[in-house]
Amino acid sequence: MSYIEVDRVSKSFGDRVAINQLSLHIHRSERLVLFGPSGCGKTTVLRLLAGLEVPEQGSIRIDGRVVASAGKNLVPPEKRDLGMVFQDLALWPHMTVQQNLMFGLNARRVQKHEAKVRVCDMLRGVGLEHRIDAKPHQLSGGEQQRVALARALVSRPSILLMDEPLSSLDDERKDAIVSDLLGLQSQFGFTLIYVTHDRVETGLLASRVCQMRDGRVA
Amino acid sequence: MGRPVKAETVVLWLCVALVAIAGLAPIAAIAFESFRHNGHFSLNYYRELISGARFWPLLGNSIRLALATTAVCGLIGVPAGILFAKSDLPLRSGFMWLLTVPFVLPPYLVALGWARVVARIGASASDWLFGFGGCVLVLSSVFLPITILLTFASSSNVDRRLEEAARLVSGWPGVLRRVTLPLSAPGIAFSLVLVFLLAMGELSVPSFLRYPSLPVLSFTQFAASYNFGAATAAAVPLAFIAFVGVFVESAFLRDRDYRFQSTGQTLFISLSRKRSGLAALMAALCFALVILPLAALFSDAFSLTAMHEAMQRAGASVVRSVMYSAVAATILMALGFLLGHFMRGGRQRVLSAFTLALFAIPGTVLSIGLVRLWNTPCTWFIYATPALLILGYTAQYCAVTTRLSLAGLMLIPTSLDEAGRLSGAMWARRLFRISIPLSTRTLVCAWLAAYILCLRDVPIALMTAPPGGDPLPARILTLMANGAPPMIASLCLIMAIASLIPLVILARVIPSRGITG
Repeated sequence: MSYIEVDRVSKSFGDRVAINQLSLHIHRSERLVLFGPSGCGKTTVLRLLAGLEVPEQGSIRIDGRVVASAGKNLVPPEKRDLGMVFQDLALWPHMTVQQNLMFGLNARRVQKHEAKVRVCDMLRGVGLEHRIDAKPHQLSGGEQQRVALARALVSRPSILLMDEPLSSLDDERKDAIVSDLLGLQSQFGFTLIYVTHDRVETGLLASRVCQMRDGRVA
Repeated sequence: MGRPVKAETVVLWLCVALVAIAGLAPIAAIAFESFRHNGHFSLNYYRELISGARFWPLLGNSIRLALATTAVCGLIGVPAGILFAKSDLPLRSGFMWLLTVPFVLPPYLVALGWARVVARIGASASDWLFGFGGCVLVLSSVFLPITILLTFASSSNVDRRLEEAARLVSGWPGVLRRVTLPLSAPGIAFSLVLVFLLAMGELSVPSFLRYPSLPVLSFTQFAASYNFGAATAAAVPLAFIAFVGVFVESAFLRDRDYRFQSTGQTLFISLSRKRSGLAALMAALCFALVILPLAALFSDAFSLTAMHEAMQRAGASVVRSVMYSAVAATILMALGFLLGHFMRGGRQRVLSAFTLALFAIPGTVLSIGLVRLWNTPCTWFIYATPALLILGYTAQYCAVTTRLSLAGLMLIPTSLDEAGRLSGAMWARRLFRISIPLSTRTLVCAWLAAYILCLRDVPIALMTAPPGGDPLPARILTLMANGAPPMIASLCLIMAIASLIPLVILARVIPSRGITG
């Protein structure tokens, strides 16, 4: 049985159909790349999986549990056990790196001591333990990407959603982060769903590629 | 088992309930009252009002006054706003804030200033001031900042890349005409609708300058004749016009409410040789509309005797004014922020239109409704205390703090909140840990704007303050009948200082861009 099942899901924004009867099956620990041109609905798929959008038709199952069906989100985003790296990273500018990572752990009531250990481990994992007290604007583009990745993973989610997070980086930094990402994926075993329109990123990351066009799998 | 009620839903409904109690209930009370005569349903008040010789001329006067004020504000305010936002005019920031001064003062202060000016010129100017022309002059200078500031804000937010693209194929006049103005049009049109409605409902200036208008009639029926039915019947057309204005704004301008991903920079027009001429013109405008009347008003204010007498006779009102305005501003800031937070998804259009209608409704109308609703033995604890005044301020000005908060919140990427949600944080936690810390500047601006508006308010202060507890604008208006001019001038100066301090702070807070606290 698939870990994530998207069953004939549709989503429109006004007159524009973003997702049209999309069905998708994703296995546990798979690295699925959603690939396609701008506006084909890749980001909407991620947002539907995250629970940030409500599907108009169809259903979504995660680990056998229906999380969204027939115009309703049955499981709220915070209860879906997933992390997400946004296209604009969405690092909270008023918090330090440590506070950005601690926020989710505090919200999930992880013990203070354990939370600190997890934050330090995660930052060590992405090579940023020395930037723990920095604020996002004090970091370079590559460092910001790593913090966003660390923040998404520090709660140890089963699924990691990534929305074109590397599009603004040069090739050298991109390679370094992809290598980090692959290392973390083999360490934690999360399912990765990665959105991009870049063939090189697709080649580096994918264990399976899903080509999208006009809101459907091509 | 039913679905659990979310904390945000509860808070939203509490906010809506507060606005409804403060604003909707009094308007409903007015409507109800105007249809009752001797305990029965009746159209008597309306029949009397419409068949009376005064109603139609007064309605015509109010509309004429509002149209003329709107036209003057549009003709001066739009070019001035564009000039301040888009050109390298010297001292533009100083000019803009100077022109804003009349708006933060009770409107009758400007009228009083002009009365002092014409008293020195002679009888012919006095004849002109006390009438339609004088009202248009005073109301235009009072409401001009609305058009200037909204034009400034709308045109500053036009993405410079759009203008740069047009600049490649056209000169500046073409860019302004084809790109900047059309993209700023919703903000400009909104400012003009607002000026029209505020001028239509203005009480103190037509009353002081003896120009008969509908709000004056409504107030006289209420305060002099204590005829609630007639007062409410006269107030209903004003409320109706306010609702129509807001309907027009929300129906026709809503779909043209462009949102920009501004780069935070604006493209400047180089005025080159015209700089000095335009700066001189702007200086003359500032002198004529602000410096001249206020200098005339305050010229007698600086005597120690006058100041001493002013503090003796109205010192308590000064303290009360500051205190009531501060309390109301704090409530308005919190309410506006929560409502803005809920409206951010763009789903609360009814709420937005409703709060705007309460802002546009004349203070006299709202106050009559509040008095009608709360003047009962079992609600005496509200009616006889400053709570009624605070309720009035809350209803009238919550649109301002809501829209300011919404504008500030729109600058924060939604992904910041979404990331918090995915981190497992509940609504309250996200509100206190993400939205509020990122909005401290917005909150400060909202508080200051609300404080200024409450402090300068005349009709609500005049009609809903508890006995012996009148705030300063109402106190000055009362003392004007028999007080010595230097003492009145000193009181006006105190009033102006209390209003201008927050304006100065606001002027320093607003220019610093950025979303972080």
